[in-house]
Amino acid sequence: MQQRRELDQVYINRKLLNGQLDTPKWWAPTVTFLGVVVVIGLVVISIMINKGLGVTGLSRPVYWGLFITTFVFWVGISHAGIMISAILRLTQAEWRRPVTRAAELLTVFSLLTALVFPLIHAGRPWRIAYWIMPYDISRGIYPNIRSPLIMDPVAIGTYLTGSTLFLYIALLPDLGNLRDRTTGWQNAMYTVLALGWRGNPRQWKMQTVGGILLSALMLPIFVSVHSIVSWDFAIASAVEGWHSTIFAPYFVIGAVHSGVSAVVTMMALMRWLWKWDDFIRPEHFDALARLLIVVATGWLAFTFLELTFALYGQDAPEIALREMQMFQWPWNMLFIIFFLTAYLIPVPLWLFKRVRNNIAMMFWTSILVNVGMWLERFLIIVPGLARRTPFVYTWEAYRPSGVEWMIFIWAFAWVTFLMLLFSRFFPLVPLFEAKESQVFTDDVMIGRAKVPAIVREAD
Amino acid sequence: MASEAIAHESEHHAPPPQVDADVIARELIATTTGASGRFKAWAWILGILSIAGIVSLIVKFTDVGDDSTKWGYVAAMVSFLLSVAGAAPMIAMAPVMAKANWVRPITRLASIFSFAGVATLIMLIPLVAILPPLVTEGARRRTIWYMAPDYSPHFWTTLGLVLLLFTGLMLFYSAALPDFASMRDHSTGWRQRLGKRLARGWVGTDVQWRTLRKRIGMFGTFYFLILVFVNFLISTDFGQSMVPGWRDAIFPMYHTISGFQAGVAGVVIALYFSRRFMKLEKYVHLDAFWSLGRLLFALTLLWVYFFYSSFIVFWYGRSENDIATLNHQIKGPMLPVFLVGVILIWFVPWWMLIWNRVRRGTSAMVVGSFIILIGLLLDRIRIFVPAWSVPGDQIHQKWLEVTPEVYWPNIFDILIIAGGISLVALIVMLMTRVIPVLSVWQVQEFNLLAKPIKYVRGHATLVAKPD
Amino acid sequence: MATAEFGSHNWGMVVDVDKCIGCNACVIACQAENNIPLNTQDRVERARSISWIRVERYWEGDFPDAKARFIPIMCQHCENAPCEPVCPVYATYHNSEGMNVQVYNRCVGTRYCANGCPYIVRFFNYWEPVWPKSLRNHLNPDVTIRSRGIMEKCSFCVHRIRRVSRKARSEGHEVADGAVQTACSSSCPTSALIFGNFNDPNSKVSQMKEDQRHYTLLDQFGTDPNVIYLAKIDADKKVGAGEAASHG
Repeated sequence: MQQRRELDQVYINRKLLNGQLDTPKWWAPTVTFLGVVVVIGLVVISIMINKGLGVTGLSRPVYWGLFITTFVFWVGISHAGIMISAILRLTQAEWRRPVTRAAELLTVFSLLTALVFPLIHAGRPWRIAYWIMPYDISRGIYPNIRSPLIMDPVAIGTYLTGSTLFLYIALLPDLGNLRDRTTGWQNAMYTVLALGWRGNPRQWKMQTVGGILLSALMLPIFVSVHSIVSWDFAIASAVEGWHSTIFAPYFVIGAVHSGVSAVVTMMALMRWLWKWDDFIRPEHFDALARLLIVVATGWLAFTFLELTFALYGQDAPEIALREMQMFQWPWNMLFIIFFLTAYLIPVPLWLFKRVRNNIAMMFWTSILVNVGMWLERFLIIVPGLARRTPFVYTWEAYRPSGVEWMIFIWAFAWVTFLMLLFSRFFPLVPLFEAKESQVFTDDVMIGRAKVPAIVREAD
Repeated sequence: MASEAIAHESEHHAPPPQVDADVIARELIATTTGASGRFKAWAWILGILSIAGIVSLIVKFTDVGDDSTKWGYVAAMVSFLLSVAGAAPMIAMAPVMAKANWVRPITRLASIFSFAGVATLIMLIPLVAILPPLVTEGARRRTIWYMAPDYSPHFWTTLGLVLLLFTGLMLFYSAALPDFASMRDHSTGWRQRLGKRLARGWVGTDVQWRTLRKRIGMFGTFYFLILVFVNFLISTDFGQSMVPGWRDAIFPMYHTISGFQAGVAGVVIALYFSRRFMKLEKYVHLDAFWSLGRLLFALTLLWVYFFYSSFIVFWYGRSENDIATLNHQIKGPMLPVFLVGVILIWFVPWWMLIWNRVRRGTSAMVVGSFIILIGLLLDRIRIFVPAWSVPGDQIHQKWLEVTPEVYWPNIFDILIIAGGISLVALIVMLMTRVIPVLSVWQVQEFNLLAKPIKYVRGHATLVAKPD
Repeated sequence: MATAEFGSHNWGMVVDVDKCIGCNACVIACQAENNIPLNTQDRVERARSISWIRVERYWEGDFPDAKARFIPIMCQHCENAPCEPVCPVYATYHNSEGMNVQVYNRCVGTRYCANGCPYIVRFFNYWEPVWPKSLRNHLNPDVTIRSRGIMEKCSFCVHRIRRVSRKARSEGHEVADGAVQTACSSSCPTSALIFGNFNDPNSKVSQMKEDQRHYTLLDQFGTDPNVIYLAKIDADKKVGAGEAASHG
């Protein structure tokens, strides 16, 4: 398994550019199908905006439901990119190389999707300029910067800008490569996009330095984004189940858990769809699964603290909320599924090397994790609002309507659609990283054993 | 400092000197023998301070007895010593599992700190006796022991700390086996006899090595789990639950993370002194400091992140007990302590450690580590002293209605603080006379795995990564 | 003698729970005064009814001695309101007269304010409001009709306050105590709801809030409401009512 295969550059080029130069047969029908789903979703969104939020299942105490849950979910997924690209780049983990592009892409597209949800969930989405833009200065009224809902677009916007730059910088060498291999309008497009990339030492140096600088700059943003999303909830001192100091790191580590799992899902799909067995190898899944064990266990510790400190105060409302969340139908069913899928099934499985190296198993376990992580957000947001306050008048449960489910499905179709569209024009596995990894690895003989080795730059 | 940093710049990522394994063993073992006059003087000073500290502890116990409002500084010391001595061995373990090479020279030094857990345990003994039971006057105070028997915190914390000490020693011992064998083979006198006795017939067969790695992994994992457990207990039962209305879910994590920060800082200081006074420059490269510096920097940022996460929720939440908690912790008499603490734990190290130059210079690193340790001690004081200052009859209230008077230290408290720190330093110092501060086999192995190579036009290191 | 100057009003309400008989007259008056859409069966079932003031029923005591109680609940106009800092567009803010006001034109409908409110007195317009033809001419011209997608809540009948204070100012005298009446307070048959100016130490509300029965709802959240409740008195028990509601 650990045997290194020597791959020559011509083979790497041919294999990794097969999406662009030699589009697979399944591509067009799949994209068409997804396109239809996306259009249906957009129609549903338009209907909702036209008719009003009455078409959702929201009610008086449960003012936030599926949309905000899904928003938090996609923001969580977006943490994959920087986790994989930036942190692993800074810690020089060699196995990150084939994964980086896909992870960064997932960041950008999931953020684009996440941003849609708070906007369409607003009562009057056509007035969101009031929310996001510093407008009407003559009257001295600005958006309220004390509101976490203002910090949200700022943080997410910064994150989106940074991730796009990050993606683009890493794409430059491959764009140059594609420019040299295409003709006609495609050639013209790549020429413009490649920004005159010729691959001379100066350009390489700038590209590398740019990547490292962006990694370091993106890390605080990465942490801030989900922290701020968590403070949307945590600052509400009147809502039991929301007002907890642990929310910021708890959300961030949960986001990494679900984001990295999403990357695993995506890698398995890529390996299967484009037949990149030489590049996305079991050892990469192995390394990601080890990372996931650590992240998931850390996340479990935070979950434990969150629950412990809910009971810590020994206040009746808080205990009642937890009782509802864990023991009352239908929350108890969701809670059990959440706990099984987010931790209890996948993580013990990952402890076995055979599972970690089995792509099909990794695919399904990573999907389980994301089912669980979606439920986690749902179980935080909705029971917090549907709790039984002292005021009987407002007691109400929540059942998402068909419109909400349709928009929920639209989001998944939309992200996949964007990914596939991207894959038609840009390589999903960075070519230069694949080549670099060929150069930076070697085998050494220690005693009688042949051991894989890594070249470390002298600075 | 700056010139040193530049002079050693090329040393970064340098492979170990390609010397014979025997030479490494002999040179490293030679560092344990003999002690300079300065060493002896310091050992005496620290020893006297430690004894004074322990005596003060006993005097305080017989003097103020079970008046819990007077024990804040001892609680702060338990937390601080747990941070330094408890977390340090973890620093060695974590990167070993991630197969990092820079950590090799540090492992031994870090695991020596687990002996210093004795100091934490000594401090804990009177504190456990004084900690109020869960149920007093028929009312249960707010703790994580939701429905547990009375005296649960007392029992589990003591057990946890004893287990931590024991696991730490086992971790130390299982990783030291090959070195005891080296002492047996290369040393003389009592060290040879000790080596012979403790090496337990180590000859380095395949099976022995496999068992060794398995043991390190096992004890390392246990150690980590117990450490987190003890941190959670100390921070909640000996801190949070003393204050009515203080419900801060992040605080146990905050305590653990800042504990790691103290552990790294402690290791940096120990590494600096042993490198300097035992002439280990050949084996301890600057990239060890560089990597520790990055770790310390990351932990410093994590500290401020965790602190802010809890602060913003209280500050924005503005409910009665949110405000009472903030007033109690960072306002009032503890405000200056808090501010100085923030500057020393976060602001100064942040501006220092952000520079590559600082992280590659040993003296700047050691200054930064001292600053962090002082800041952390102040931080522990600002948390635990006000917490223990809450009078026993207010402990069941819904939240603090009146911020209590803060207890200021008397001579005994100061001696206890000085004694506790001295005891840790003394234990680490004495251990360097028993066993090489650098793990002989780790250095030998690193020699085997890393080779300098010529790469295109420059130099690079080829590092083998065995599975 | 009214000492309060113009602009130094701090409007507030005192609710004497002891006098409340749970007749819901205030609720109807409020619906009519403030152009609140009809709470049809469908809306009530979906828990989307809008009711700026409501009469909550709660039980006090355990079974054989249980007593049904009423308590009218409207926006508490908190001095330290959890809804205000979270609004991204300043659609809700605290004005200089001690009221928590809602600017319909600015509201984009994030509903964040409603999540933060411990009293749950903020309402969202899920649908465009419609009235049967017969009711069109009954709408109050002083009050804006809220479109769908925005929040609304009790305004302390701000249009009445404005009308009275404008008139008083043009006539050059202070707003007399009791001159401003909200729809609910003017309709209460037992005078359980008293509206007035807390800044004026001689006003009725200022004096009533000194009553030893006074308390505020859910005071553990530190919201400092401008609606003061006076506790229910039992013949056999001295003070009691409201405590159950305020401490959950």
